[in-house]
Amino acid sequence: MARTDAPAARLPVLTRERRRILYACAAAVVLFLVGNVVRPGFASPASISAILVVASFVGMVAAGQTFVILIGGIDLSVPWVLNAAAILLATSSLGQDGRAAYALVLTLGMGAVVGLANGLAIALLGVPAVVMTLAMNGIMEGLTLGLSGGLTCASCASYAPPVVQAAIHGSLLGIPTALLLWLGVLLVVSVLLSLTVFGRSTYAIGNNARASFLAGVNVKAMTVALYMLSGFFSALAGVMLVGFGGQASLGMGDPYLFQSIAAVVIGGVYILGGRGHYVGAAAGAVTLVALVSVLLAMNMPEYGRSIIYGVIILVLLLLYGREEGEA
Amino acid sequence: MAAPQAIATRRPRLAHAMLQSAPLLLSLAMLAASIVVYCAIYLASQHRLPGGFELTSTVNNTMPLAMAAVGQSFVVLTRGIDLSVGGIIDLTNAVAAVAIHDSPASMVGWSLAILAIGALLGLVNGLLVAVGRLQPILVTLATLSIFQGIAIRVLPQPGGAIPDAYGAVLANVDAPISLIYVALLVLGWRVFRRTRLGVSIFAIGNDEPAAAANGIDVRRTKIAAYVLSGTFSAAAGLFLAAAATAGDATTGNSYTLTSIVAIVLGGVSLFGGRGSAVGGIAGAFVTSMIVNILFFSHIDPLYQNFYEGLFLVLAVTAAAGIGHYFRRRA
Repeated sequence: MARTDAPAARLPVLTRERRRILYACAAAVVLFLVGNVVRPGFASPASISAILVVASFVGMVAAGQTFVILIGGIDLSVPWVLNAAAILLATSSLGQDGRAAYALVLTLGMGAVVGLANGLAIALLGVPAVVMTLAMNGIMEGLTLGLSGGLTCASCASYAPPVVQAAIHGSLLGIPTALLLWLGVLLVVSVLLSLTVFGRSTYAIGNNARASFLAGVNVKAMTVALYMLSGFFSALAGVMLVGFGGQASLGMGDPYLFQSIAAVVIGGVYILGGRGHYVGAAAGAVTLVALVSVLLAMNMPEYGRSIIYGVIILVLLLLYGREEGEA
Repeated sequence: MAAPQAIATRRPRLAHAMLQSAPLLLSLAMLAASIVVYCAIYLASQHRLPGGFELTSTVNNTMPLAMAAVGQSFVVLTRGIDLSVGGIIDLTNAVAAVAIHDSPASMVGWSLAILAIGALLGLVNGLLVAVGRLQPILVTLATLSIFQGIAIRVLPQPGGAIPDAYGAVLANVDAPISLIYVALLVLGWRVFRRTRLGVSIFAIGNDEPAAAANGIDVRRTKIAAYVLSGTFSAAAGLFLAAAATAGDATTGNSYTLTSIVAIVLGGVSLFGGRGSAVGGIAGAFVTSMIVNILFFSHIDPLYQNFYEGLFLVLAVTAAAGIGHYFRRRA
């Protein structure tokens, strides 16, 4: 939407979407500064890097969530796809390096297959995304609990393969590998969204599915592919988390649904689709994790964090809402 | 809702009524089928038919979800969604456990006060959605977090005590008197559907600009829908407290999603304007029957969510298929 008051008839460099990404980045910087006042050393390189590593887990899930939200969908199956992936990686590798490659392929493939099932039901059978992914979350929860006997199976105590653990904990040129992986994902997803036909089609579907169909976009195939990506990224986050923590646990995916949606929205992605960028969602993930860290540094009890979390999201939404006429 | 006089007149009217209430009829058929299956499995494993005790406990267990589903219906009919249902149940349940004492005045007074709290929380949602012009899913996701936080502040550990007399009224273990509440809800809905507010809710769910052009106050209607949702969620919190005779600030969390499952099974369209709260109640009972069926067919409880999820997908897909079939014939 070109602003008419812009000098000459040129598109402004700072579009609404880009401004929102800047807001999310600014919020993260402000939070680090506030944290440094509350607890000196909060903004030290080591502390920042630790916070960014935690944010990278949210950021992975948010990548998948961005894809489906951009076409006006949503993925509520994140918690148990992530959890199932973490458990599957540990149980299929039995903690052995020799089986790590096989376990990784199996786990990430599982995520993609779950996403495929979501996408097929949504695109071909017309099941609403909220219902399908909600049901899928229950299906994955039941399968994970049932097959692992409530995480009591013989191989359930397995750790993630040392290779995977070392890969997540290691660092290259002083940068944690988890962060490098996230930077890589950031780059790939950004290129995919901004420079490819795939990205163009995604935005087109989000703006008007019927018009994009008439313009020759294969809407159904795109929908299936995007839900597959979401499943893949949830599984990847599960792999990273089990590599980070060593062992899988039940319920480890639960916080990531709320956080991934919140990160995407804070980053300025429009919840009904068609507008926004993963760069914003990534900045949103950093903001969110930095916020939690600041509150923890202030010794805020859990209930207080929960309340402030909600209030901050509402305030940001109201600020964004002020800027334009849209709902 | 096939009006009786429609049968006496022309066929198209009947066909139209059938088409309009097809989702509701489907959900009632699903309820009937699930009750039959439940009775059959119960008979096979216990060698007798379920009796008064089973009826009473099923109704008592379902009441909170039925209340939450009715509340959710109002909002979804306006083409919104209320994810804060679980948070409102948490908070009202916690307040009930802390506040209600063993005297009639306290029980009645605090019950009304708690319903008012629910209405107030719903008002916050409604104002943010209607006046703040924000997306319902985001507003209620944020308020869910806020309400959950306040609930834990009110009741940090599960506990408190609900007087026995309170339980006897809302969740009587000896007789299925809660069926009276179900009947009242159904009756109340049928009246509400015809009121100005009821018509307005359906109108803005179907076509908001057209409704506004026809003089419907969109803002006030939306706010009212969220206030109603909050009030019914508070009622769910009270029923839960009465059944558990204690409070728990996290007890309501699962109701956000199960209330959506219930209304979807009840034939309420997530795209607004179609469905009824009666369907939501039927959906709540279907959900309970499925849990009962799984229990008596000796399925490992760990797999419960798997079968529930599978059933939800199958039910929604089947309903969509039947809907297509009817529309093509009509």
